[in-house]
Amino acid sequence: MKRSSCSTVAYPWFLIPIVVVSFAALVYPIYVIRPFRLQRPRELAAALAIIQIRPPIELACAACALGGLLWYWRAQPLLSRRRLAAAGAFLVCTLAVLSRVNVFELMFHPDTHPLFVPIQQAKVDPDDMVLAVKLDGMARAYPIRSMGYHHVINDVVGQEPIVATY
Amino acid sequence: MWTRESGGLVLTFHLAGINNQNFLMRDDQTGSYWQQITGEAVSGPLRGRRLTLVASDELSFGLWAAEEPGGTVLKSVPKYASDYEKKDWEVKMKKERTVLSFADPARGLEPRTLLLGIQALGASRAFPYDAVIQEKLVLDRVGAEPVLLVVGPDGESVRVFRDRIPGIDGHPSFYRMLDDKQSHPHDAGWLKQASAAPLLMDEATGSEWNFQGCAVSGKASGLCLESVAAVKDYWFDWRNYNPKTTVYIRRP
Repeated sequence: MKRSSCSTVAYPWFLIPIVVVSFAALVYPIYVIRPFRLQRPRELAAALAIIQIRPPIELACAACALGGLLWYWRAQPLLSRRRLAAAGAFLVCTLAVLSRVNVFELMFHPDTHPLFVPIQQAKVDPDDMVLAVKLDGMARAYPIRSMGYHHVINDVVGQEPIVATY
Repeated sequence: MWTRESGGLVLTFHLAGINNQNFLMRDDQTGSYWQQITGEAVSGPLRGRRLTLVASDELSFGLWAAEEPGGTVLKSVPKYASDYEKKDWEVKMKKERTVLSFADPARGLEPRTLLLGIQALGASRAFPYDAVIQEKLVLDRVGAEPVLLVVGPDGESVRVFRDRIPGIDGHPSFYRMLDDKQSHPHDAGWLKQASAAPLLMDEATGSEWNFQGCAVSGKASGLCLESVAAVKDYWFDWRNYNPKTTVYIRRP
């Protein structure tokens, strides 16, 4: 009985730092790397480092939250508290899933399967500017008005894998 | 424009973040983050590696199509096409605020002044785009190396070359011979003729040179000048990544 009450008290205190770590690992990089904000070198390096180490951290947080919940569920007689604890563990799992999504990759609508057409079929005005490249005798143009929207095009021109950026 | 090979891998990039309004790319293969303007990996397993710059031009579509009639063009994505940048987008962009400034009114440099940046030949130098367009031919140096910036027959495309004729000693001393007042910059027929026609002449060999940097007549006929990669960029961005850059000031 004494052991059960100890565990029921301990779980919320166990869960709070897990939620904080999980939330911070998700939100700090988004906060730092958002558009129209000055990115200072140290905070940018920290944000990118967090992104690199985040997957195992989020996974460990989710595993701890779920493992703790299992223990708490057995020990805690009150259903309402069990549900509250389950909501906390669910939150940590949701943060772990969201950490796998890069909001910028969604925001800028990548052209993941670029298609190319002959000049005669291109709907580009003569005075529109294009990024032009010629490799292995093959000439390719990327209209600036498209590139200003997609920004990144992975391509192979001739035998050369290149990335056009704007 | 960069090759997308590094560490023996062919990389696939996505726009994955912003660093002071220059974007960061993430590669699928290693999860490394790369700075767009420098091609350098700034985070992840490939940190410190650099992509190789691919020489590219920013040309008007009419001129490029005249030069490369067999070329292919990136097709617009139908579901996004209506959201693509409008014709006047560069005018609108000039009004967008920047998080960095580096404004230098004495040299006419505002944060969003457009320029051609050259990082080659052991130095970096910026050429205000409007000045180049107005001068039509700029003879200058990047570091110790003489270069020439030439405006195309369309009046809006620019190419950069080393100001040396391969295999021929001495300074070529180029001058422009195209009568720009007679140009019809967006007429396909005229552009086809103009794109191959001589644009420059050099005093050293008396040769005529076209916009591709190749001699079409004279002693140097058949020779081509070496291209120099240039990036069209805003001053604040160029200056941020090229703190030691010098700036071309238009002659009075």
